[in-house]
Amino acid sequence: MRASLVILGKDLRQRIRDRSALLVAIIVPLVLASIFGLIFHNAITGKVTFTFGLVDQDHGPASRAFATEVLTPLRRQGLIKLHLEPTLAAGRSAADSGKVSAVFVLPAGLSAAGGHGGHSHVQVIGNVDEAIGTQVAQSIAQSFANAIDTLRTVQAAGVSSVATTGGSRLPVPIVLADVSTKRRQLDAGTFYAAGMAVFFVFFTVQFGISSVLEERRDGTLARMLVAPVHRRSVLAGKLLTSLVLGCASMAVLAIATHFLLSAHWGNPVGVAMLIVSGVIAATCVMALVATLARTPDQAQSWQGMVALVLGMLGGAFFPVAQAGGLLAALSLATPQAWFLRGIENMTGGVGPSAVLGPVLAILAFAIITGALAFARVGKLVAP
Amino acid sequence: MSAIRPVDDVIVAGVSAPGPDRPVLDCSNLHKRFGQIEAVRGVSFRIAEGETYGLLGPNGAGKTTTISIACGLLQADAGEVRVCGSPLTTHSVAERAAIGYVPQELAIYPDLNARENLSFFARLYGLSPRQAETRVEEVLATIGLTDRARELTKNYSGGMQRRLNIGIGLLHRPRLLILDEPTVGVDPQSRNAILESVERLADEGMAVLYTTHYMEEADRLCDRIGIVDLGELKAEGTRAELVSLVGEHDQVALEGSGDLSAAARACAEVVAVRTSSINDGAIELIVDHARSVLPELLSVAADAGVAISSVEVTEPDLEAVFLHLTGKALRD
Amino acid sequence: MKVIAIAVTDLRRLLRWRANVFFLFVLPMLIILLLGAAFGGSRQARIGVAGGREDVLAAKFVAALRQRESIDLIRYSSAGSLARAVAHGGVDAGLVIPRDYDARLGRGLGVTIDYFARPDSVAQQLKTTVQSVAADQGRAFAAALLVQRRLGIDYPSALARARAAAARTPAVRVLVTDPGGEPYTSGTGRFQSGASTQLLLFIFLNSLNGAAWIIETRRLGIGRRMLSTPTSVRTVIAGQLLGRLVIALLQALIIVLGSLLFFGVSWGNPIGTAGLICTFSLVGTGAALLIGSLFSSEQQAGPVALLLGLGLAALGGSMAPLEVFPSTARAIAHVTPHAWANDAFSKLLQHHGDIVTILPQLGVLFAFAAGLISVALLQMRRALTA
Repeated sequence: MRASLVILGKDLRQRIRDRSALLVAIIVPLVLASIFGLIFHNAITGKVTFTFGLVDQDHGPASRAFATEVLTPLRRQGLIKLHLEPTLAAGRSAADSGKVSAVFVLPAGLSAAGGHGGHSHVQVIGNVDEAIGTQVAQSIAQSFANAIDTLRTVQAAGVSSVATTGGSRLPVPIVLADVSTKRRQLDAGTFYAAGMAVFFVFFTVQFGISSVLEERRDGTLARMLVAPVHRRSVLAGKLLTSLVLGCASMAVLAIATHFLLSAHWGNPVGVAMLIVSGVIAATCVMALVATLARTPDQAQSWQGMVALVLGMLGGAFFPVAQAGGLLAALSLATPQAWFLRGIENMTGGVGPSAVLGPVLAILAFAIITGALAFARVGKLVAP
Repeated sequence: MSAIRPVDDVIVAGVSAPGPDRPVLDCSNLHKRFGQIEAVRGVSFRIAEGETYGLLGPNGAGKTTTISIACGLLQADAGEVRVCGSPLTTHSVAERAAIGYVPQELAIYPDLNARENLSFFARLYGLSPRQAETRVEEVLATIGLTDRARELTKNYSGGMQRRLNIGIGLLHRPRLLILDEPTVGVDPQSRNAILESVERLADEGMAVLYTTHYMEEADRLCDRIGIVDLGELKAEGTRAELVSLVGEHDQVALEGSGDLSAAARACAEVVAVRTSSINDGAIELIVDHARSVLPELLSVAADAGVAISSVEVTEPDLEAVFLHLTGKALRD
Repeated sequence: MKVIAIAVTDLRRLLRWRANVFFLFVLPMLIILLLGAAFGGSRQARIGVAGGREDVLAAKFVAALRQRESIDLIRYSSAGSLARAVAHGGVDAGLVIPRDYDARLGRGLGVTIDYFARPDSVAQQLKTTVQSVAADQGRAFAAALLVQRRLGIDYPSALARARAAAARTPAVRVLVTDPGGEPYTSGTGRFQSGASTQLLLFIFLNSLNGAAWIIETRRLGIGRRMLSTPTSVRTVIAGQLLGRLVIALLQALIIVLGSLLFFGVSWGNPIGTAGLICTFSLVGTGAALLIGSLFSSEQQAGPVALLLGLGLAALGGSMAPLEVFPSTARAIAHVTPHAWANDAFSKLLQHHGDIVTILPQLGVLFAFAAGLISVALLQMRRALTA
């Protein structure tokens, strides 16, 4: 054991001096998570501003109501910007050129038709490049249309003193309450912080295990084997290096992203359990790859491949689960996917018991790959 | 695993001190095969305490494989290795404390400095932190790197790196130091320095196993030499024994003025002289043990009336021995 | 020509390594699978519903939802299982209909339906659809409340009148079209351009992998040996560039054809797309050359390549559309080649453009490539001759 710790100490000293270790373990994932956090900042805080156009062909109470009672409050809240377009053609070109995300067109006769119960419509011309903005416009137009509908219904039911204008204080009997944040949905900042951390830890742990191959090439492994230490102590020392580097890296990332990106990793005990099990799994997989490779270069490129494939399948870059079917199933064979599940399970302040399932799945992966690696380890720790 | 204590402090567990009946290293009938190639075929030799033993042979003779087995890096397919009486295998741990190892290729950490390199291995060899500190400074002084100890070894010159390479092998004061062709590709100055250090260590009582394909080194350093080729130990012994084993003889060439033929005939009468002839104005003799018979030859020649102006003695060397034994040159 | 000789030797060395065969060909296949499954065809959005089985009105709500074309509705037995399904991607969004749905509506009280979804654009679009169904279903009740208030009658009578009136009153339709007047297709079911943006990400990332190879060539001293022959540095670099470019193009081709054939992912005008992919691959290769010339250790170049590959892709809108970027991020997006390439793809796919339409973007990409290669040339010369 003592020899393992001596080897761990030497390895850590080398890695701290080695800039590539620092890059992989901390700098790159942090920078990437920050970039993602920057991009999704608005999505996180909900402050996206869309620019819309308005073509008023109606010039009636309905369109006035739309402008003053629907759009103006949104403008005041900073949620939209508005351009008034003089003609339909101008509106079309505004949507086409990208000046606006979408254009509302209130056709002539909208207010009038309400009075006679004729068919009427509201049009949204969407910029094909801005699907989200168009969809928001659709939603706004839809709620306006609903208000008109309700008022016309009320009129048809015999209440004549209600003007067919856009609704103010109309009752909404069926309310849709968006409880996404309360129901275990990861916000983008946390998703990318956790995703990048778990993706890169598979590269970080390589420094411990693959160094066996490098030392073999450089002759220092032979020196260690000639010394009065057990071979298993040498292996243990290297494994410990991977574990220490991996856990340290993820801990630093968790703390840094918590402050820099408002990433909510969740209950610290749960996070710690996920990190430790994830690092163990990563070490076991990379150890297995190292036992299969013959030279350090081969080990490095194979390990890179495995880390990339597992990371992609595990959903560290885009949610694979939404693909359904075979891919979603394959995704569950990766420790990354279970790690992210564990973090998801803890959103909204759920306690560490929520991670027990994922931790067990991750450890199962670790045991299987670890056993395979162990069977071959004799070849690894040999001169 | 209990702590291994350094050899000079206390008798290492299970490994007794060497004695006349207990050589430092005892290899018997080692065999090692790699696939189709038999790298080591029945090699046996012993090294007594304080003895410098050389393994002399060309590239590919199996020297490196043999010493890999001797230090427990490789497991022999057959045969046994004993270090100070205790068997040594790849699983042995305690027995390794008696061995110091200097590999042919540099085996040092380029991104650590000399002191860190030495401390690491000192700790691996079981020295406590304090013992390690003292010993590291001693070794640094021995190899002359104290001033540069804080620089990363990747910035060292080749010679400095070699010195460190050797220094690591000495940290734990081993009973036996194994050096695998330490002077290959080394400039003459550093080479000489290395040879001198080995001589010094031998003088201090360390047993040394030294492999080389340079005859001069084997000649200079080794008490006994084992000649290996194609995995076999062809012959072993002191230099003189080897030379005589193959029946090579010394040559003596005497130049001078006077009646050379008379002197030649007179010399031929001397017991140790095998042949005598005249060539190019010099008397050429083949003798046993030129050194011992030379005074007699000189006086015989003088009696015959020849004034000797120059004496040239050519002793058969190990290259000749090797050639005789294997039919090949030692170096190609 | 020397350039071709260098390129061919480079490729030959590359293909001897089995690991590279994986990187070059198997990995793109995997990417196709992922892209195709995630973005191919026109998959319907999936919404899960829990509760509301017993009540008549609730069932009507669910039926109305089911009738919407863009939705695939799946029933769940409990809110808990539904929540898990949404969290793990089994469905895109979930609705929980409360037990007293009918009771409350019948009494003129409001009803709250919990909605939760993944934070992506598909889910947000689902919300719009569900809200419109909710508004439609609730119209009679809203009217009834107003009628009750104005006419001062009891709620059940008001509700009866309102229902009758609602049946007589046609709803106002909301038409969503593109500037050409066609129905808006950009957002049906899935975010279609996701395939193209992800393609750009992978082309760039794969190209950057070449940086490590270039460093190894230099480390082995081969570069210097090449220079000791009467070959200019420019030729050496052109040869390496050509080799890497061929590989990048091959990979892109595999991804495009594979996803088209197996998953029906559409790529727009073929010539335009081909031109865009070639130009963008040139940019990626130039970046790889630059990294290869700046770093002397593969171990350092690797993480930097990952950083650039993923970071630039994200900043350029390859992971999430530029629409949702805050203004600062949106302003700097066009510092990346990805943003320009995404613009070009958008013109090809959404605006049905061709190669002429995207000439400006191609021009900018060429400029990127030229810039990267020039700096790489300078740096490589310095590195090789030092």
